Amino acid sequence: MKRQDQLLEFVNRKGFRKGWSAFIIAFFLLFVVLPTVFVVTYAITDWDAISITVLSNPKTMAIIWDAIAVSFAIAVIVTVIDFFAGLPVAWMLVRKDFRGKELLDTLIDMPLAVPTAALGFSAAIFWVVDPSPVPLSLSIISSPFILIVLLHVVFSYPYMVRSLAAILEEIDETYETAGRTLGASRLTAARTITLPLFRAGLATGVILCFSRSMSETGGTLIALSTMSSLGIVAADSFATGPTLIADWRTLSFTDPSYTPALAFVSILLIILSLVLLVVLKLLIMKFHLPLRRVWPMPEKMLSRGIFPKLKDGSALFFLAMIVLVPSFFIFTYVLFATPQAAEWDSFIFALGYSFLLAGIVTIIDIALGIPFALYISKHREKRSSHVLDVLVNVPLIVPTAALGISLTLFWSNIGSLSGLEFFILVLAHVAFTYPLVVRNVAGAVEEIDPSYEETARTLGANPMQSFRRVLYPLVKGSILAGAIMAFTRSLGETGATQAILGNNAPTAPVFIVALVQSDAFFQAGLACIILIIVSYVFMLMLRYITRKRKEVI
Amino acid sequence: MVAADDLELTVENGEYLCLLGPTGAGKTTTLRIIAGLTAPDSGQVFLDEKDVTKAEPEERNAVLLSQTYSLFPTMTVAENILFGPEIRKVPEEEKKRTLIELLDLVRLTKRADSYPRELSGGMQQRNALARALATNPDVLLLDEPLRALDARLRIDLRHELRSLAKALGLTVIHVTHDQEEALVMADRIAVIRDGRIIQVGTPREVFDSPATPFVANFVGQSNFFTGSILCSGNDRTTTVHDEEGRVVFARPCALPVDSKVVVAVKIGNTRVVKKSDAFLTGTVERALFEGRIVHLDVDVPGLGRYSVKLPASRRDQVSVGDEIGLNWSVKKASVFPYPEGGLENELKVD
Repeated sequence: MKRQDQLLEFVNRKGFRKGWSAFIIAFFLLFVVLPTVFVVTYAITDWDAISITVLSNPKTMAIIWDAIAVSFAIAVIVTVIDFFAGLPVAWMLVRKDFRGKELLDTLIDMPLAVPTAALGFSAAIFWVVDPSPVPLSLSIISSPFILIVLLHVVFSYPYMVRSLAAILEEIDETYETAGRTLGASRLTAARTITLPLFRAGLATGVILCFSRSMSETGGTLIALSTMSSLGIVAADSFATGPTLIADWRTLSFTDPSYTPALAFVSILLIILSLVLLVVLKLLIMKFHLPLRRVWPMPEKMLSRGIFPKLKDGSALFFLAMIVLVPSFFIFTYVLFATPQAAEWDSFIFALGYSFLLAGIVTIIDIALGIPFALYISKHREKRSSHVLDVLVNVPLIVPTAALGISLTLFWSNIGSLSGLEFFILVLAHVAFTYPLVVRNVAGAVEEIDPSYEETARTLGANPMQSFRRVLYPLVKGSILAGAIMAFTRSLGETGATQAILGNNAPTAPVFIVALVQSDAFFQAGLACIILIIVSYVFMLMLRYITRKRKEVI
Repeated sequence: MVAADDLELTVENGEYLCLLGPTGAGKTTTLRIIAGLTAPDSGQVFLDEKDVTKAEPEERNAVLLSQTYSLFPTMTVAENILFGPEIRKVPEEEKKRTLIELLDLVRLTKRADSYPRELSGGMQQRNALARALATNPDVLLLDEPLRALDARLRIDLRHELRSLAKALGLTVIHVTHDQEEALVMADRIAVIRDGRIIQVGTPREVFDSPATPFVANFVGQSNFFTGSILCSGNDRTTTVHDEEGRVVFARPCALPVDSKVVVAVKIGNTRVVKKSDAFLTGTVERALFEGRIVHLDVDVPGLGRYSVKLPASRRDQVSVGDEIGLNWSVKKASVFPYPEGGLENELKVD
């Protein structure tokens, strides 16, 4: 008891607290930010290699530019579709009351529960033209580009709806009511009054969707691979930035001459995503949508009768047909497919490995992410805190495949990787899940009046006590939410894992990719279902916890 | 940013001190410095003659009660009260006794297991007070403790809060921007402006003998006359005249003849009189009936608006447009040297 008191007293000393803060920030910079962008230094140290094997090789350059252009085009199209299909649904969720609203609310998040590897497989089987189609599948898509757009819409759509709904909830409805009492029709009021207030939510939604689409590897790989086994040749040569990294990474295990090209693609992707982040943010904040003009008669007409119903109906139809059915089509597939002999031991091992990895990653995220979140939200007045706040987003924006390459280079620069694979994987997963915990916790802490903790201090509580007794109970929900997000993200991640360890990486999503690539569809389907169920259970926990938190406040 | 600059203040044990000033004067910052929540760039804080400038908030035993009370939303009324004793590892028996006493003192015994959000504003305030008292503080820091309450309750609680503090022998520093609250509650008032203390004194001293035109106006509102001294000196009524030849009288002062001065008279001490007895004459611009009194705005040519309060019984004697005379008891008028930045600047509240 006495020793514990001494320890507590030591921990509460000013000097210790300063040192601890420094350690937390150092960890963040050294293990999260630096590895994420380390690959950029390769351009400086090994520029010769890049210029000889990549820049002076027109064929390689063409492949790289094609892949990156495809990535961008897909991300842009996906984001635009998400916005137009997501806005009516976000509106319904916030502003309308109807039976089944709860259900709709739950349905929106469903695709998030499905790891993208499983999503890719499920969507491909549903959409792609198949000589002997699975019953109930549409079997109409033969263009890999359209397939990938459809796939990316599925998992980015929930982010858009959630961001738009969140900001819509903040916007006071009385503005619109005031507009309507002044004679504006429903559509005019919504368009000219509420929409311009939307920018912040739009920025978040656009950036999330865009970076998610830019970054996605596993699902895209699986969808393309499924497509090509169904006999569509175009899928073989089709690549996005991340899948190109994955392909070349696999080759580079046997042929190291691919390394400069790999590094070059990663650098391009990282720099372009970061530039894009800044540009998008500025653009959305500065750009004035031409919303002022009013067309009273047509808008009045569009506000009445069948049109609003048509709008809501088609948005819901989109949600069902484009987002939900393809996500869960895999269940139908497994039901109708002819069972094959499956080898389960290695999948169970992979699942266990993934869980262990995700568990350790989440623990590290919590232990080091919470102090970091506290630091940035409590030093708002300092410029350094703003810089850190922006830096936290970097690993969220950077495509994970590029991040994996970056990390591999970083650690192989320091020493040999063999035997340390698990350790490197943990660090990689920490890099892209850490921001999820930090964002959640920092967001929650900033919502809470600092006077609670201050009052606790003047009542005699030391910093540890005031955190544990006053602040922690208030942000517990957000901590758990962040932890579950980090856990599921790590569980379903493919790009970075594959970039580090190649196709032999022993995690469940990479295992599924390998199954699909070797045409073991049935076993891949079953593996996906198991992964979906496990993730879904976690998702339910998340919803349960976040709902409970709302009731308390 | 300078929030509190060159500020010196000593508070006695068991004293109820009100820190009075307009919004943004640095009142809250001063409290936070005393509590240890904000570190001063320079200067020192002493508690019981011990320098605590560098001490952590939890080492000071100076409890802050914030404007919003900051009752911990995840704890019940009783848990909130016991927060301090828990931290101090007070024995169970004693904790129980403290809780019963305090619940009884703030009349919340029946609500012990409620959560703060289920309480009314007044109950929340009492709960926060009980929580502060449970730690047996050396000094209680109240930041606008009555602000969030509605008008009637606020007036009732003034007396309650003061008598509680007196009964328990507490040392209290109470921050407020409400001069009436300060006048009613304080043993001493410290008037603060732009981070500086302008005057410290009993409510009567601050009201009757303001140190500057600002204090004269901020505490109780004054009418002002600008002019130069015709005649002054020990025990002699000060005579002040302006360029238009109007002459007014004020209490004795030591300022030399011909110096530019401002005479301030509380509006409550300004009287409506026959023109023959008047120092000044003006036209009634507006008469506001406020129930017990009538508030008159009188335009005095060249001097601007004078405010006067008239008992409701005399309300039929004056109507808008009338020319009336104004004077005051010479003892009630203070004389100040003309402020450097001009009178308007001196009186500005923010």
